[in-house]
Amino acid sequence: MSVNVGDLDAIAVDARQRIGAASDEAALEQVRVELLGKKGALTGALRGLGSLPADQRAAAGARANALKGEIETMLASRARELQAARLQTLGDQEWIDMTFVPSPVRRGHLHPLTLILREVKAIFSRLGYEVALGPQVEDEFHNFEALNIPQEHPARDTMDSFYVDADHLLLRTHTSPVQIRYMLSHEPPIRIIAPGAVYRRDATDPSHASQFYQVEGLVVDRDIRLSDLKGTIEYFARSLFGPDRRIRIVGDHFPFTEPSIAAAVSCGICGGAGCRSCKGGWLEILGAGMVHPQVLRNGGVDPDHYSGFAFGAGLDRLAMLKYNVTDLRLFLENDVRFLKQF
Amino acid sequence: MLISLNWLKDYVDVQVDVATLAERLTLAGNEVNRIHEQDVDFEGVVVAEVKSLRPLPGSTKNQIASVSTGQSVAEVVTGAWNLAVGDRVPYAVPGSRLNDRRIETKSFLGVPSAGMLCSAIELGLGDDAAGILILDEGATAGEDLRQLYPRDTVLELEIKSNRPDLLCHLGIAREIGAIFNVPLKEPGISKVRPADASDLVRIEAPDGCRRFNGRLLTGVTVAPSPSWMQARLRAAGVRPISNVVDITNYVMLEAGQPMHAFDYQRLKDGRIVVRRAREGEEIACLDGKTRRLTSHDMVVADTERAQGVAGIIGGAESAVQKETTEVFLEAATWEPRSIRRTARALGLRTEASSRFEKGLSPALSLAAVDRAAGLVAELGGGKPTRSTDVYPGPLKQPRIEVGVDRIARVLGVTVQPAEAASILERLHFSIARSDGVLRATPPDFRLDCTIPEDVVEEIGRVYGYDRVPSTLPGERSTVRDLYERRDADEIAREVLAGREIDEAVTNSLVSSSETPEIGIPARPASFVRIDNPMVENRDALRGSLLPGLLEALAFNARQDQPGARLFELGGGFWKKTTDVVDEPRLLAIAIHVPLGGKEAAAELRGLQATVATVRNRLAVASTDFRQAEATGFHPGRTAEILDVGGPIGIVGEVHPATLARFDLPGRVVAAEVLFDRLAAGGEVTPQARPLPRFPGVRRDLTIVIRGKTASNDLVQVIRQLGGYTLREISMVSEYQGPQLGAGARSLSFRLQYQADDRTLTNEEVATLQQRIIDGLKQRFAAEVRS
Ligand SMILES: [Zn+2]
Repeated sequence: MSVNVGDLDAIAVDARQRIGAASDEAALEQVRVELLGKKGALTGALRGLGSLPADQRAAAGARANALKGEIETMLASRARELQAARLQTLGDQEWIDMTFVPSPVRRGHLHPLTLILREVKAIFSRLGYEVALGPQVEDEFHNFEALNIPQEHPARDTMDSFYVDADHLLLRTHTSPVQIRYMLSHEPPIRIIAPGAVYRRDATDPSHASQFYQVEGLVVDRDIRLSDLKGTIEYFARSLFGPDRRIRIVGDHFPFTEPSIAAAVSCGICGGAGCRSCKGGWLEILGAGMVHPQVLRNGGVDPDHYSGFAFGAGLDRLAMLKYNVTDLRLFLENDVRFLKQF
Repeated sequence: MLISLNWLKDYVDVQVDVATLAERLTLAGNEVNRIHEQDVDFEGVVVAEVKSLRPLPGSTKNQIASVSTGQSVAEVVTGAWNLAVGDRVPYAVPGSRLNDRRIETKSFLGVPSAGMLCSAIELGLGDDAAGILILDEGATAGEDLRQLYPRDTVLELEIKSNRPDLLCHLGIAREIGAIFNVPLKEPGISKVRPADASDLVRIEAPDGCRRFNGRLLTGVTVAPSPSWMQARLRAAGVRPISNVVDITNYVMLEAGQPMHAFDYQRLKDGRIVVRRAREGEEIACLDGKTRRLTSHDMVVADTERAQGVAGIIGGAESAVQKETTEVFLEAATWEPRSIRRTARALGLRTEASSRFEKGLSPALSLAAVDRAAGLVAELGGGKPTRSTDVYPGPLKQPRIEVGVDRIARVLGVTVQPAEAASILERLHFSIARSDGVLRATPPDFRLDCTIPEDVVEEIGRVYGYDRVPSTLPGERSTVRDLYERRDADEIAREVLAGREIDEAVTNSLVSSSETPEIGIPARPASFVRIDNPMVENRDALRGSLLPGLLEALAFNARQDQPGARLFELGGGFWKKTTDVVDEPRLLAIAIHVPLGGKEAAAELRGLQATVATVRNRLAVASTDFRQAEATGFHPGRTAEILDVGGPIGIVGEVHPATLARFDLPGRVVAAEVLFDRLAAGGEVTPQARPLPRFPGVRRDLTIVIRGKTASNDLVQVIRQLGGYTLREISMVSEYQGPQLGAGARSLSFRLQYQADDRTLTNEEVATLQQRIIDGLKQRFAAEVRS
């Protein structure tokens, strides 16, 4: 096969036409292979150069190489055009519905009482408190007598107990016996919280149950004052419910603290104006006080050298307030539709 | 405690609005739970007696009441049906007014209705809208209803159990006087001391009666009490009965001392005997019930029989009646524990018992009996004749020394000594001051103050806790066991939540007879029993968490939530010896599989992996399972969970028969384990080891076996034969199917060989593999493919 310059010109015309006609990147690649590939037109022409006489060969060779460069330039330019065109319609070509979202990966949900206890623990751990635990099956000494609640004391009216084992033992009616147990086994300074289940023979309704949950706090050290208790309550309540809440401390009475107080936070629903969820704008959250000197003595602590404060809050009540739970009974019902909200 | 503001104003000038009053009382420890304000202004409403009732022709909803005001009779159409002939009702006559609403004669189906009969809510006298307010029988027809119900505001207070002195209007007036620093106006009491009557009263049980005051009045006329007194009693929640009875209640609500009035002529021999009841002695009480007493109970008797349960309720026999002319008034101080015990045993709590059981001061009774006698003389025309006061051990109040610095040390705020003294004096303490020390003697009506802290509390609550600064305890506390370390509970919970299991909290109280037998085998056979259960099916403490979880699964299935997956981390109650109850922490998991046995098997494998994962996150040791059988579990699908020391729990499918007890369709797989043993090491702190320097070799092994061969046994043989370089054996898959034939299973294992000091050669590994294959063939008649 012989090649002449006219053939190369024809290839050039043909290449320009075909490159311009390539409508997408695949077609352009096809054109490239047909022109420059191993069996391509130009490659064939180049191969044919060898059969030319030597004097023509150089000129034809130069022309062919120049043509190869031109074709490559045309290909590249057409490729850019086609890519730009493709990117312009990318959204239409590769569209998917991004609002069709699969549900989140399924996970188990922790109980709201666990979650609230976690928060309470976290707040008090920042203040250096330890967690102490005590038995739920208690004796009269720790649950009542050591806390200044002898037989036939009126305070027992609000703590009607379940007795166990022929009246020798009872289910603790509050977490306060942990105060006594801890003081008897540890020297001051003491800084603990004690969470857990407590039991009273109360009829069940949306805000009462015979089994419920409390968290107790106890600090015993030199020079502990009521102002320390007040500051601790405020720190706790604002940490749990938010920095904008107001805290109100009122007088109260418990046999094991003197003076005794109760604390309330301003209602988050009405902001303190008063509504159906609160009592005159306030939500009671805990009872507290300075540990009664006799209780310190019962715990083996000398009230002449040490003083302390204690507080007790309903964990379920805190959870109800924080998570907007309106019925205490939901906590022990274990309806998964309830549990999965946490 | 209901406190009438009208009544209160007899004793103290309240110069603030009622909201402020309530707020300040609350801050001082006397919580005002509610303020009942009469928001209806009515005029021209009178008492009327229902004379007859007949249907309104053409209506099924209304009836016509013929009512009398004493002077005239009118016909009124009413939609209420709670009326009976003879009832006294509020009648808004034509021309009367309820707030802005003018009442006129109106026509119903052509029948004229002259005004209207009113419900409690229409008059602002209560929340009851269901029917017409039925007034007391003693209400006089024609009387203006404002006489019976003057406009008043009533505070509902919660009085703390240490302050029985506040269960009366005078007590609250004293508090207000102290809080607002205004003077108290005490009621005038005529201190008539008529002839001695100590022979009338004999105290046979002095340990139950600290003081006994009596007063005999003759020439008494029993009649309704005046309307002002009735109105006050009603405001305080007490029903008026007759002048004598009303006076005893009035004095109690005024000054806090419960009283009782006897018809003296009905007392056998005219004698009062204070004694313990005879065992089984019966008494007919004022409320119409007859009660059986025991020898623990105090009674006020005549020479023959009990005429009243001391401090709790009077007897019917000697009750004051219309014909009574001689009245014996009793005001006594009873021993609180005895009152409480009796009240509880009788299941009867009265205004009197609830005061006595809190411990009343013996200083109250003399003034009370004087006050009541004066009122009876004034309102019932009687004449006090004889008087008695048995008071062997008079009250001696302590003198409490309080250093001024102590106030600051307890409260954390410096209260000036003058201010502290003033507060105490306003609370009727008597105070002596000398160099930084206050000597405080509580008033004789208070028994709750005995130590300096009590006095500091009085100062603090009146001074105002809102004026105490907020501080935090000093930072001297030694760092002992900072709660930085995440505890095992939290780790376990996270692992379980990650395995799509929700956390439950179930009741500790279960039924000893109906709880199906299932749970961790280590639990004792018998329950810890509750001596006094509230309901029969909650009479024991749980030994296992599983029955509660199964109940919760069944509950959810009934709520159209099948397939619930629950875990609980909580205490079991195991009786160890008499008097000792062990409270092991248990972790239980229960998963409902609403489908069949095949799906349950897969879920069971998943559950085993979950248990192993929890343990893996908590303890160094790996988890082993041993095929086992246990009550309540599937005989072929149960394993013990093993620790080095032995079994620590159980995992398996719940026996279909047990499941049937819960009425739960489908299957359930469950596990229960001793959490502290599972968590033995606490959180594992990872310890890095050098990475292998030479490549390892991995080989798969598939074994086909027949029958109930435990793969655990295969693994043991593989491990033995694989020797030191066999580092890891993992179970990869299990297959059962038609290709293998009935009763055959194929198990695939992956073996990882590794040496620390060289690259293992293929020949070495091939030799080991062959040794394992031969061993398995020989020991288990297994078919082995490498
Ligand atoms: Zn509110």
